[in-house]
Amino acid sequence: MTAAVALALKRLTVMREGERRALDGVVLSIRPGERVAVIGPSGAGKTTLLRVLATALRQTDGSVEILGTDPWALDAGARRRLRARIGLIHQAPPLPPRQRVVTAVLAGRLGSWPLWKALVSLAYPLDMAGARAELARLDLSDRLFDRCDRLSGGQAQRVGIARVLYQQPELILADEPVSALDPALANHTVGVLAAEAQARGVTLFASLHAVDLALAHFPRIVGLRDGRVAFDLPTEQIDAQRLDQLYSQEGYLPTQEGRPFEASRNRPLQSPLCK
Amino acid sequence: MKSAWLAGTALILGLVWASAAFLRLDPAGLFAAGTLGAFGKFVGEFFPPDLSAPFLSQIAWGTLETLAISAVATLLAALGGIMIALPAAGRFGPLPQLASRFVLNALRSIPELVFAALMVLAAGLGPFAGTLALALHTTGVLGRLFAEALENAPSEPADALVNSGASRVSVFFYATLPGVLPQCVAYSLYRWEINIRMAAVLGFVGAGGLGQMLYVSLSLFHSPQACSVILAMLLIVMLVDEASALLRRSMA
Repeated sequence: MTAAVALALKRLTVMREGERRALDGVVLSIRPGERVAVIGPSGAGKTTLLRVLATALRQTDGSVEILGTDPWALDAGARRRLRARIGLIHQAPPLPPRQRVVTAVLAGRLGSWPLWKALVSLAYPLDMAGARAELARLDLSDRLFDRCDRLSGGQAQRVGIARVLYQQPELILADEPVSALDPALANHTVGVLAAEAQARGVTLFASLHAVDLALAHFPRIVGLRDGRVAFDLPTEQIDAQRLDQLYSQEGYLPTQEGRPFEASRNRPLQSPLCK
Repeated sequence: MKSAWLAGTALILGLVWASAAFLRLDPAGLFAAGTLGAFGKFVGEFFPPDLSAPFLSQIAWGTLETLAISAVATLLAALGGIMIALPAAGRFGPLPQLASRFVLNALRSIPELVFAALMVLAAGLGPFAGTLALALHTTGVLGRLFAEALENAPSEPADALVNSGASRVSVFFYATLPGVLPQCVAYSLYRWEINIRMAAVLGFVGAGGLGQMLYVSLSLFHSPQACSVILAMLLIVMLVDEASALLRRSMA
């Protein structure tokens, strides 16, 4: 709780499928209690970054420090205790189809519950009020006893969020947590996450496709592109030009002083076929 | 093409002839004039079935015993199966996987009747031997099926809980089991169906149930009683087929 940094990444590199670098020398430091949004085009490495931070994926190179420790230097038991302090919200939460919503939410605290409590709760949910309260914040308390496969994509996403809220982690990670929600509900839901982080003084690190949500709820924005940090700035300093550059596509590049932006460094804009 | 056909047919006919000669079968006897009459007389002896009240109550008792043997055996096998399926699906590393697969293969490849004969020697005549025999063979079958279900189940729900610090046991009960449970229950019901038929036969080696009644009736040439027992077997197998089809439909 009192670590000087919540997250510290140094030259973090993750190789996927052989030679492709999903993350390439990412440097990032986040203080406890900060709320940071990561934005960037599809395939920029946002999900990979979140998976590394959730200790679901081990980096190829560089160092990772989460809540003051290197998760891969710990023994299995200590890593399990560290993981109980980290909550990852998935874009498509992997809920068992036939499980009831209440059980899926209560599963958030399996990391801190003793085994007997977990097993008893499977037969008779032990903290129905707690699960209901988290769902109520997300407008979903009436689905407490539904089966997870009866939920729409947006409802499942919010059940996944409720699970992590119920977990009460010190580090909340969110991977596109509101991608299946309509704009109003998305705004409300990101607001709930931000308020939760603020109220409990915990760190929130979320990837978002909706840039307006990032700007509205997060004091600090990290732009990720091609596995690298394109910018890392307070929200006030983000302007339209930066966003255009972040999301610009090869071939549809805006120009800077008459030269194509950035991507031309790696390969020529014209394909060899055009010769 | 044609010569291959001819050679194949000649080979099969030759094999059939050689087998018949080896077993000293007389195919002519099958088509002799008196055969049909003798067969009719044999079948006729079974009718009418013995439906006297005391014998019917014996049959009811035997039916219950058969059902109980199959139910207990299937339940034991389902429990044993899931316990061996976990290492067999590679949850505890390669060495336990190899060992548990060997155990499952061994259990599966020994037929129920062989197990029953062994268990009658080990545990004595009666339903206990039948239950053990069925449970052992079915454990091999269900363990193999459960292990495959575990291997094919999506791992994302389990991974998500592992990453939130849940212990292996609670991950199993909260994420893995809910994913495979419907399949495991369906497999167990199907095996139960098979086991009821099998429990009816196991009695022939002295392992209790309707089979033992049939064996006794036939040995004493009480054909009408044997007929009643066969009808009772037919009835419960039909009932179980219907019941398990209903159950599976309601689970889908």
